[in-house]
Order: sequence, then structure tokens, then C-alpha cells
Amino acid sequence: MIPEIGQFALALALMIAVVQSILPILGAAHGNLLWMRSARASSVAQFVFIGIAFLALMRSFIVSDFTVVNVVENSHSLKPMLYKVAGTWGSHEGSLLLWVLILATFGAGVALLGSNIPDALKARTLSVQAWISTGFLSFLILTSNPFERVFPPPLDGNDLNPLLQDVGLAMHPPLLYFGYVGFSIVFSFAVAALIEGRVDAAWARWVRPWTLAAWMSLTAGIALGSWWAYYELGWGGWWFWDPVENVSFMPWLLGTALLHSAIVTEKRDAFKSWTILLAILTFSLSLLGTFIVRSGLLTSVHAFAVDPERGLYILGLLGVSIGGSLGLYAWRAPAMEGGGLFAPISREAGLLVNNLLLGAATGTVLFGTLYPLFMEAVVGTKISVGPPFFNAAFIPMMLPLVVVMGFGPFLSWKRADLKGIFQRLRFVAVLAGLSGLAVWYLTEGGPVLAYLSVAIAVWLLLATLREWTTRIRLFEVPFGDAMRRARNMPRSSHGMTLAHAGLAVAMLGFIGSSAWKSEEIVFVQPGAEIAIAGFDVRFDGVERVQGPNYVADRGTLTVTRDEEPVTILFPERRFYPVAQSSTTESAIRSTLAGDLYASLAEPASEDTAASGAWTLRILYEPLVNFIWIGAAMLVLGGGLSLSDRRLRVGVPRRAITPAAQATPAE
Amino acid sequence: MMLWGIFSALAVAAALFMVLPLFGAKTRIANRQAGSVSILADQLREVDADHERGLISAADAQAARVEIKRRLLALSRLPETKRMDGIKSGRALLVVVALAVPATAGALYASLGSPQMSSMTFADREDERTQRVEITDLTERLLERLKNDPNGGPTEGWMLLAQTYMRMERYSDAAAAIANVTERKDVTSAILSQYAEALIVAEGGIVTPDARTVIARARQMDPANPAASYYEAIALDQAGDGEEAHDLLLARLNGATGSESWVELFVAQANRIGETLGRDVVRPAPIAPMDAAPSSGPTEDDMAAAAEMSQSERDTFIRSMVDRLADRLENTPDDLDGWLRLAGAYQVLGDTQKAQVAYHQAERLAQTLPDDDPRRQTIREALTGLEQ
Repeated sequence: MIPEIGQFALALALMIAVVQSILPILGAAHGNLLWMRSARASSVAQFVFIGIAFLALMRSFIVSDFTVVNVVENSHSLKPMLYKVAGTWGSHEGSLLLWVLILATFGAGVALLGSNIPDALKARTLSVQAWISTGFLSFLILTSNPFERVFPPPLDGNDLNPLLQDVGLAMHPPLLYFGYVGFSIVFSFAVAALIEGRVDAAWARWVRPWTLAAWMSLTAGIALGSWWAYYELGWGGWWFWDPVENVSFMPWLLGTALLHSAIVTEKRDAFKSWTILLAILTFSLSLLGTFIVRSGLLTSVHAFAVDPERGLYILGLLGVSIGGSLGLYAWRAPAMEGGGLFAPISREAGLLVNNLLLGAATGTVLFGTLYPLFMEAVVGTKISVGPPFFNAAFIPMMLPLVVVMGFGPFLSWKRADLKGIFQRLRFVAVLAGLSGLAVWYLTEGGPVLAYLSVAIAVWLLLATLREWTTRIRLFEVPFGDAMRRARNMPRSSHGMTLAHAGLAVAMLGFIGSSAWKSEEIVFVQPGAEIAIAGFDVRFDGVERVQGPNYVADRGTLTVTRDEEPVTILFPERRFYPVAQSSTTESAIRSTLAGDLYASLAEPASEDTAASGAWTLRILYEPLVNFIWIGAAMLVLGGGLSLSDRRLRVGVPRRAITPAAQATPAE
Repeated sequence: MMLWGIFSALAVAAALFMVLPLFGAKTRIANRQAGSVSILADQLREVDADHERGLISAADAQAARVEIKRRLLALSRLPETKRMDGIKSGRALLVVVALAVPATAGALYASLGSPQMSSMTFADREDERTQRVEITDLTERLLERLKNDPNGGPTEGWMLLAQTYMRMERYSDAAAAIANVTERKDVTSAILSQYAEALIVAEGGIVTPDARTVIARARQMDPANPAASYYEAIALDQAGDGEEAHDLLLARLNGATGSESWVELFVAQANRIGETLGRDVVRPAPIAPMDAAPSSGPTEDDMAAAAEMSQSERDTFIRSMVDRLADRLENTPDDLDGWLRLAGAYQVLGDTQKAQVAYHQAERLAQTLPDDDPRRQTIREALTGLEQ
């Protein structure tokens, strides 16, 4: 019964989406307020019914209702409860259901929270959102029905993918989708603005909170995904330039550019058509990502060709939404007036550099991701574009960006005084250079680029802090006054400081863990000792232990440093009999300075396993935790900015003239 | 019943959502102009604040103020946006939409849903699992006994094993079991067509050359064997000979009285092949009125009727079917399989006492059977289970 309720709720949601695609935008065109306002109720209704469908599917997973095909294929009665729940979005059908649920969440969010947005703009935006919704709901219902039933039901499910049994991964898709799909509402705002033919400071401000929310969750999602790869895959890396990672990274890069270009539109009435274009492209990249991941194109171009129904439907959706919105852009954008002029040295120019570099970086990643697919489709040879390409092409673009980032916040709008800024940052530049040299003196064997990168990261961190202290005049006025100034400053400016500093911290993590990583892969008998990064690791052997739905070989490693005991590590190799597959559970000793990371590799053969000899992989990754700390700072910075009072400023309570404003400044 | 209640509630909720704007409070209209003005005003205040904090010089602040004020002025010159009609007009459309949404969603659901199918949680299916384990056990034992039989095991034994495997969806095992008897003297056309079926299903529906040979043998032994004709048609179709396949099926259908159990399947297959050939749709011949043989199972109509019933109606319906079976067994008390079926049905319905009686009846009949007949085992275990 429950799955049928989900099915019916989904059908209702689709029909409501169809109505919402037409009625509000028609109302906006004819000045019919009633039709425009229907967008509010339909958005909420869509959210409610898709929510019901999602809960129905989740319930089927929780109770292992094997009359539902999707549950049979993606669950098993022996799965731990948490992963049964996560199984809801583990499959193609379930993840698309989550996709449309998030789409509806953002629609309902704008409908309920956007009371300051003018009726016509809101109606158009929500109609555009419903176009996307209609496309994906029909895709879901017609080609990937999550509530398909089977009778007689099999006695148990087929899937118990142990790799997916990880809390990080269970939470990864929802967060990633939240960011990915969150940009849909920004896209809808952009298309609505194009239809309306007006983009101005007010538009930029209405869109800002939604851009920030989407960007924050995408940031958190990417960080969690990378954290998962680090802990679970057992390779000790946190980013692999894998296509699945890239398709989430591209919207992040462009979304970051959008966040900055929208500031210019808001404050200076400039970069209008550029901001609109970024909004369209960011969501287009999200759609492209969904297409690449969901069409099966990644596994093989041929696999896609064999069962092309789903892929073609999504490709069609992609064509219509990207082609349509870009067409609309080409038609309407030229009519948009440009804003204020600015000098080559100004905050506008700084943000332009930010946009250009982020755009170029996105293009690079896009090329590297799609090129192998094109090659396979056209020439028929499988090539792989891996980290060497991305590192060589991407990093040189990012370093200048970070250098400019240090200056950026000091620049004033229109025309900035570069000499004054240089004077203020002299000390910071010297410190940054010294820190690069210090690291060079203290370590050995890192690449030159690494020392340069350290200096640049330190530059960003210090310049960001310096900007903050300048703003609150710490050291210039009494401490109490400075704190009062800090309290009075808009929260978004604290948010910017925190996020920029977060990037600097994360960069230190990237550099430390890639340039100064130590790695030992050894074939050892119990009792053997391995020296790594100042630690002595003794291998005490492997024993067999029984888990809830797996058996594991658990190694014991005693770690000492200068004869002092440090810790005991227990890396495991787990075997899941139902799924007939193994996973690696690394053991990690985590400190701020770095992680000592141990994993058990497969025994060379049955005989060697019997004799107790194993292959061990031991790594020391300096500063790796800075990555997650930096990512958390980025997200918190976004949140601080989102909580800024001014984002809620909009429609006045009564008719106002500027002169009538008597509210105290922040 | 409950499901339809929930569906109605959801439909009503959807309709209410659609008419909700009709009851909206007469809030003021938020138009574009006012929003832009208030945001520019906010920017003016920001400039003041920045200047006060010494973040920008007096000259810069003045320049910024002038610029923002210029934008404010430009705003006032923009044509006023389209006059709004208020919330009076267009009400009828909302009501139409409120009716159309549940109706179209219902139609969509009708083509997708399986309302008659209930949820079956893993926890509710303990019995089924125990049963499965028992059957697996029994088949293992039967296999051992057949393998160890110095005479190669009776043909019926192997066929029973094969049929059990088929039900367990272990098709390759089923084919392997039948393969033991296909070269015997007592092999029949029916055995061969079952062998062909097992081979084909085991290959995921592909007719292999081996299977083709078996089909040919089955047809040779008994040209009237419908299963052999059916698989021959499938083989022909897969070999690209759709027309011949279609002709074969039609020939058989033309020779049928219409009451045969296989007619339905032949018609469906003929239409599937016919569709690619662009041939006319075949309809089953009007079914000759059957003499109301009490042994007949549920007809298509019965099944269709059952599908539309509520849970309680369905229970009553199943009970009436069971009662019919019980009545028939009164007249033909020597039907062992009939008693077993009845007992199983009572067990499913939760009628333990009647199930016991039926099993005891079956036990009496089973005394004449050989020791290794799995039915004896079934009866014994069922009785032990019921008496606990």
C-alpha cells in the first residue's frame, strides 16, 4: 500500500508542476495577481507530494519491502539500518527522486521565505523552476519509476554494496545534490530576469541568499565526498580528478564566480549580463553532471548506446534547458544596460580577474572531463585524462587567483589606490616570502612549486587577516572600540574574511599532504618494524574478527616515537559474504600536524596469509586535516554571510522615500 | 479500501492547494519599483556607515552617494509596471485546475500503479522463508536419492525435481535434471518440451541450437504438443523467420476449440510477432461455454474480479474458491494433490483445524506411495508444524 501512495503522490506532483509551469508566468504576463500567487501554493504542494513519495520509498527500504523492484535491486535485509535508509537515494531512481525533492525544496523555500521579492519576478521564477521540475518528474515517472512493483516478491534483496556502507558517503549525495540542484533556483531567477528584461541591484540582492545557500551545501558536499574518499578508499588521497568529482567541482568553480560577480551587480549595477550568463552556465554544468553520472556514460560510451532511453531523455532535457536559456540570453541580454565604469585598478577589476580565472579553470576541468568521452565516442579509443593534466593546467591558474585574492578586499570600488594597498601589505608580503623560505629550510625534497604555494597561501591568510584588522582598526584605536566596530560591521564582511581565510587554510592542507607525503608499502612478517616520518611502526600480526554482516582481517600496529608509545592502529580488510566483495578500513591517527594512515593490502596469496605475512601501506600526510578545517571555514563563512540582515531587506513596510529612512545604520 | 481512502485524501489535498490562492489574504502588492528603491536606500545607508567608520574618504562617499541617487532617479523614470488586476479575476481557471490536477494524476496513476498489491515487509515473511528452506532441503534429499538409485532413478522423480527447480528459478539445475531422462525409452513429447523450456529460460530466453534440436524431437514425437509448437514459433521468430512463426501459431489457434489453457499465451505471442510484421491483431475465439466442471480453476474473469476487490472481499472470494475445492473433494476423495492443495489453502487462510483434517486425509492416501515421494515428507512436516 505504502509504495502505491508514493506513486500516486508523485503523479500529483507532476500535474501540479505542469500547472505551476504555466499559470504563474501567464499571470505575470497578463497582470493577473491571483494566477501569479498560485505559484506559492503550487510550490509548497509540489514539495509536500514529492516529500510524501520520498518518505514512502524510504519506508519501503526501511522495512525491506521486496515487492518494490528498486528495493530488491538496491537493498538487502542484512544491511544495517542506517544504510537501508541511505539506500533510498543510493540507486538511480532514488537519487533522482532526491534530486526533484531538493528542486521542490528550493522552490518552496523561495515561495515561503521570499516575501520581499516582487510578485511578478517571483511568479516567473517559480514557473521556470516548475519547468525544470516537470522535465525531471516526467523523466523519473516515465523512464525510472522508483515504485515499480514485482510479484511474486523475491525473498531477499540483491545488493549490499559494502563500499556504500559509510556514513560519509551516506550523507554525501544529499549534500552534493543540495548544492548542485540549489543552483537551479538561481538559474530560474536568471531566466525570469531575462524574460522580464530587467536586472538590477535589487535582483542581485534577492538572488544572493539562494546562491549562497546552494554554494555552501555544494562546498560541504564536495568536502564530505573527498573526506569519504580519504578514509574509505584506502589510497590515502583526497582528490583524484575523477569525472564524478569533476562534475561536482565545475559548478562549484562557476558558482564561486557567480557569487562574486553578483556582488558587482548588486553594488555597482555592472556585470549584469555576465552574472546572468554565469547563473545559467552554473546550473547547466549541474545538469551536465547529472547527465554524465546518471546516463551511464561514464562506465562506457557503449553501455550508454545499448540502453539509451534514459540517457537520451536526459540529453533532451539538457538540450532544451541549456539551449533554451542560452538562446533567450542571446536574445535578451544585449538589451541590458551596462552599469558604472571602473578603472583597471578597482574592486570591479579584481572581481573580473576572479571571474576570468575561475571561468578558465572551469573550462580546463570541463575539457579534461569530456575529452576522454569524446575520444571514446568518436575515435573509439579509451584514453584517460588524469591528475598530471589537471595539476599542470589547473594549479598555475589558481595561484595567481589566490595572489589577487589577497589584494581584492582592500580594493575600493571604481578606482583604487594601489600604492596605498602595497604599503599596507608590504609587511604581509615579506612574512609570506619568509615563511616559504622557512619551510624550504626546515624540509627537504619538496618541489619548488610547493614552496611558492606555501608562500602564496600564507600571503592570502595574512592579507585577509590584515584587511579585517584594518577594517576594525585594531591596533589603531583602543581595543574596546575596535571590538565595537567589529560588532557593527555587516556580517557578510566577517563571512568573507572567514571564507577567504578558510581557503588559505585548506590550501596549506592541499600543499602539505601532497608535497610532503611519506609513503611506505612493505611486505612484512609479524614483528617487523617500519620507520616513517619519525614514527616507528611495529606490525604485530593479523587476526580474524566477526562483524555484524562481514568478517574482517584486523591488523595490529604499535606506533612509537623516540621509544615513547604513541598509539595502536587497527587497519581492517572486511569481506561481505552477501555482496561477495571486500573493503579496506584504514586506521588513522589524526592530529593537526598530520595523519598517520595505515591500511592492509590484499595478502599476496593464501600461503602468505597463513604464514602471517601481509602487505602494509603506511602513509604520513602532513597538514591533511587543514583541508577539512578550511572547508568548514568556507561553509561557516557562507553561513555568516547568509545571516546578514541586509539580505532580508527588501519591500518596505510602507511606501518610502530615501529621506524617510530613519533606521540606524548597522 | 483504506488505500482508496488515502488516495482520495491526497487528491482532495492537491485540489485544496490549487484553490488556496482564492482564500489568500488581500496582502499588498509587492512590486518591483518599491523593492529596488528600498535596496538602493539601503546602499545609501551603507555608504554613510562606511564613511563614518573611515573606510572610505569623504570625497569617495560623496561620489558614491551621487551615483546611487542617480540610479534612484533613473528608477523613477522607468515606466510603471503593468497594472495588477488584483485577485478578483481568473478565479474560474483555478477551480478548473483544482479539478484537473487530481483527475489527470489519477489517470497517470492508473497506467503506472498496482493498487491491488499490498506491501510485504521482510519481517512479515518469516513463514515464506522457512518454507523455502524446507523445500530446498527436500529437493537436496530427492536429488541425492535419485543420483544414488542404481537404476538411474524413476523418470517421474527427475521430472518432479526439475519442476521444483523451475519454481525456485534454478533453471540450469532444472535442465540438468531433465537431461538425465531425455534418452530413456519412456521419454514423452511433454518431457522434451519441458526440457526445451528449461534450456531456453536458463539462457535468458534465447533458443540455443541444443534447445532447437530438443523442440524438433518433441514435435516429431507428438505434432499436437502445444508447448513444442509454441517454442518452435519462438525459435523461428528468433531466427528471423517471423512470418513462419506467426503462421504456425495461427494454424494452432485455428485448430483450437478456444477452451484450451494455452490459447491465451498463443494469442499474446502471435500478436507480439504480428505487430512487427504489421499483421492483423488476433483475438481468442469466443470461449465455448464450458460444462461447469467443478475441477476448473479460477478463470480469467475470476482473476480480474479478484484484482478489483478490497482485502475483505478478496478473502471472501478466496474462501468461496476453497469451499468449491472442498466440495469437489467430497465427491472425489482419492485426489491426493487436491487434498494437499486444500490443506495448503486452509493454512494460508489461518484455518489450522481444517488444514489438519485435510492433511490427515492426504496422509491416508499417501500411504500407498513409495517412501521417497516428497509429498509424504511435506505432509509429515506440515502436520508436525500444525500440531505445535
